[in-house]
Amino acid sequence: MLNYRLVFQFLGLLLLIEGIFMWLCIPVSILFDDHELLPLGLGGLSSIVFGGGMWLVNLRAHKTLNARDGFLIVSIGWILFSLFGCIPFLLSGEISSFTDAFFETVSGFTTTGASILNEVELLPHGLLFWRSLTQWLGGMGIIVMSLAILPLLGVGGMQLFVAEVPGPAPDKLHPRIKETAKRLWAIYIIFTITEILLLWIGGMDLFDAVCHSFTSMATGGFSTKTASLAYWDSPFIHYVIVVFMFLAGTNFTLSYFAFHLRFRKVWRNEEFRYYLGFILGFTALLTLILSFTEVQSLEESFRHSVFQVVSIVTTTGFVTFDYLSWIPLAGILLFMMMFLGGSAGSTGGGIKILRIVLILKNSSMELKRLIHPNAVIPVRFNRNAVPPDILNNVFAFVSFYIITVIIGVVVMASMGYDLGTSFGAVAATLGNIGPGIGLVGPVENYSHIPVLGKWFLSFLMLIGRLELFTVLILFSPGFWRK
Amino acid sequence: MRIVIAGAGEVGSHLAKMLSHENHDIILIDVDEDKLRQIGSNYDLMTMHGSATSFSILKDSNIHKADLFIAVTQSEEINITAAMFGKQLGAKRTIARIDNQEYLKFNYKEIISSLGIDYMIYPEMIAANEVMGLLHQTGMADLVDFSRGKLTMYVIKLEENAPIIGKTLLESTPKGELEFRAVAISREAATIIPRGTDRFEVNDHVYVITSAAGLGDLLKYSGKEQYEIHNIMILGGSRIGIRTAKLLGKHHNVKLFEIDREKAYRLSNMLENTLVINGDGSNMDLLTQEGLNKMDAFVAVTGNSETNILSSILAKQMGVKKTIAEVENIDYIKLAENMGIDSIINKKLITAGRIFRFTSAFDVSSVRCLTGTEAEVMEFVVKAGSKVTAGPLMDINFPKDAIVGGVIRGKNSYIAQGDTDLKEGDKVVVFALPSAIPKMKKFFN
Repeated sequence: MLNYRLVFQFLGLLLLIEGIFMWLCIPVSILFDDHELLPLGLGGLSSIVFGGGMWLVNLRAHKTLNARDGFLIVSIGWILFSLFGCIPFLLSGEISSFTDAFFETVSGFTTTGASILNEVELLPHGLLFWRSLTQWLGGMGIIVMSLAILPLLGVGGMQLFVAEVPGPAPDKLHPRIKETAKRLWAIYIIFTITEILLLWIGGMDLFDAVCHSFTSMATGGFSTKTASLAYWDSPFIHYVIVVFMFLAGTNFTLSYFAFHLRFRKVWRNEEFRYYLGFILGFTALLTLILSFTEVQSLEESFRHSVFQVVSIVTTTGFVTFDYLSWIPLAGILLFMMMFLGGSAGSTGGGIKILRIVLILKNSSMELKRLIHPNAVIPVRFNRNAVPPDILNNVFAFVSFYIITVIIGVVVMASMGYDLGTSFGAVAATLGNIGPGIGLVGPVENYSHIPVLGKWFLSFLMLIGRLELFTVLILFSPGFWRK
Repeated sequence: MRIVIAGAGEVGSHLAKMLSHENHDIILIDVDEDKLRQIGSNYDLMTMHGSATSFSILKDSNIHKADLFIAVTQSEEINITAAMFGKQLGAKRTIARIDNQEYLKFNYKEIISSLGIDYMIYPEMIAANEVMGLLHQTGMADLVDFSRGKLTMYVIKLEENAPIIGKTLLESTPKGELEFRAVAISREAATIIPRGTDRFEVNDHVYVITSAAGLGDLLKYSGKEQYEIHNIMILGGSRIGIRTAKLLGKHHNVKLFEIDREKAYRLSNMLENTLVINGDGSNMDLLTQEGLNKMDAFVAVTGNSETNILSSILAKQMGVKKTIAEVENIDYIKLAENMGIDSIINKKLITAGRIFRFTSAFDVSSVRCLTGTEAEVMEFVVKAGSKVTAGPLMDINFPKDAIVGGVIRGKNSYIAQGDTDLKEGDKVVVFALPSAIPKMKKFFN
């Protein structure tokens, strides 16, 4: 039985938090004198009033939360954030159509980074800041944040945590969910501040440094420039961004261990080794290709390779170079990497390295099982046998992912797009990457997609960020049955 | 408080859930991953898969930061080893569940504490002692002794013949010095602290605190009779069953049913004064043949709550006056009481009560978690300068969801009334609903 009153009470609180963050953009707007006080102020106010009302009306809800309520809160919560988050864009008139504003906001909160803006620089600073902030909030998750700061939901917190944090089975850093959530956010904030300082030192102005730190720690990919990171021709800035994208795509639990100087635990983590291996391998390959085909120094080849590889694997979506202008092989390699995704428990999207590795391991074990029909051969990960139900969950996830991609490509093709663009748009939105291939490539944007297509891609971004199950479960009849 | 619990069995999981609910940080260790997943996904605690006697697992659980380590796996050897390791690795206090009375003997206390085990708990023995107490106080559904019986809390189920039915608390209270006092009534699913105008009803479970001298009057008021127990049938050769049979010894006529043939042989060797019968306790013919209708008491302590409940109801219908059933499923307890079983015992609640004093934020000398209600009854020692000494009980704003039932001062005991003044060194018995437990800290510290 769903506990609707508690669901709405919690949703109200979440909107309240969103409203407060919207108001935090007002000082930026004042500082740059860009006349966006009203849209931001009214947006925040409506979110606070609506959320506060929802919270107060349902204050006396029965305090038990089960798994189903958790799924409902997270799914509806994310839709509500996006609905209220697009109010400032609409009120300011900078993005005139509701579809476009919603698409841009969903792309923000889901840390996708797909944009409909032809000229990002035209957006006033206050709104640019809000746009980056949506990604930062969506990266670690507003619900995880609310678990850290709100003193409620002792029992049900686990359900919400599992539904929002990426990965098959999130790790805990502390017996209490509240404390775990606090630690995750603390690491996130520390990384963000460090990155801001480094970018600032590297020559970005403070506003751009803050915005880019927000969006790279969230593996989001919104830039304040139309040319993305190609705008800055500074190797230092590029390398700093690479490092922090890499950190953001790493399981935050491992960063926590690293902070406590328990490096052995980090190195022993198999997913991390594969993550590092994939990135190094692909970077080496791409550098090799570029150094033979492009007229540029080895350093430049390496820098653009490592930047694009890390940006795509972690599902960030920043670009320093139009990778579609390279030979087709390079573009196709990068397209393949869109299906990898970051590590479990990171802010990255996609299928996730952990799942890919489990599938590969199980498939190769299957060969061994065929040779020794009676042997008991478990799939090992981090030196432990993986229980069958986790494997089943991973298979189900990957199957759903592939089916969604196929359906998505057909839908996009029915709107008249070629195979490359259809694949690119679906892979880049479902994987929360941003730029894809074809007409939605690194120097293009999503403004030319028809209205229906934008809503469809918004839906893909949402289910991609919430790892399919959380949203798809709402479409199964059993969920609503009493 | 940070608490590491080894063993996610019945007792371990119950402790983990309860303590996590009381806002302690819980880490639960077990070798069975399925059990852990079930608890871990529903409760706010951390689970760790592995052996409780493995150093690396204990270290991973950050045991050096733990305030309390509770080892309650199925095996006593594992518990003792784990507790020793836990202490060496830095746990502040350790508790091990044991299965052997020898360890509790006073002579060995020093050896055990030098090993690093602060407290040993033997739930089956405590349960058997409770069964013994219930068999001696046949009219009562439950009882808790304080300070060696100077005060006792009895739980009485009111039948239609009880003289106080329909009367208010005020009407049924005699003038002058009290010898007993009703501190709570549990009716259907709710427990209330009665005020002057609350009436007693049929099927109420009334919680009464009494001094030894008040017992006679208490029985008269509640329409209960004491009768001697001679013939006892015990169902199930579980650890509780064996302990109870041993304690009842040669002064009673005890028949014990055990379904497993080999176990029955072993039991017959261990229990020389008990007639051990190998057979299925749910087989009515067998029970009747062994004279169930002539029994004074029937104690059902098989590992299966359903069997215990059903066979106790059958025994009651056959005319057995006192039935006691072990019900481990907490949700069944109220149900079983309403179906007419006289007394219920529950190992988890017993253990939880014993461990409570290690985890509570205030000094409490003993606690009993009661079956059939969420409330707890506890004994505090009054400290100098604490808030309860500020004046007569009626003037200090004592929480409404708790009540001071009695006071033990030196060798004497009194029933508390509104004008009672508490002094340093008094032991007080407090009955508290769950909502009141956090407030106790303010009054007794």
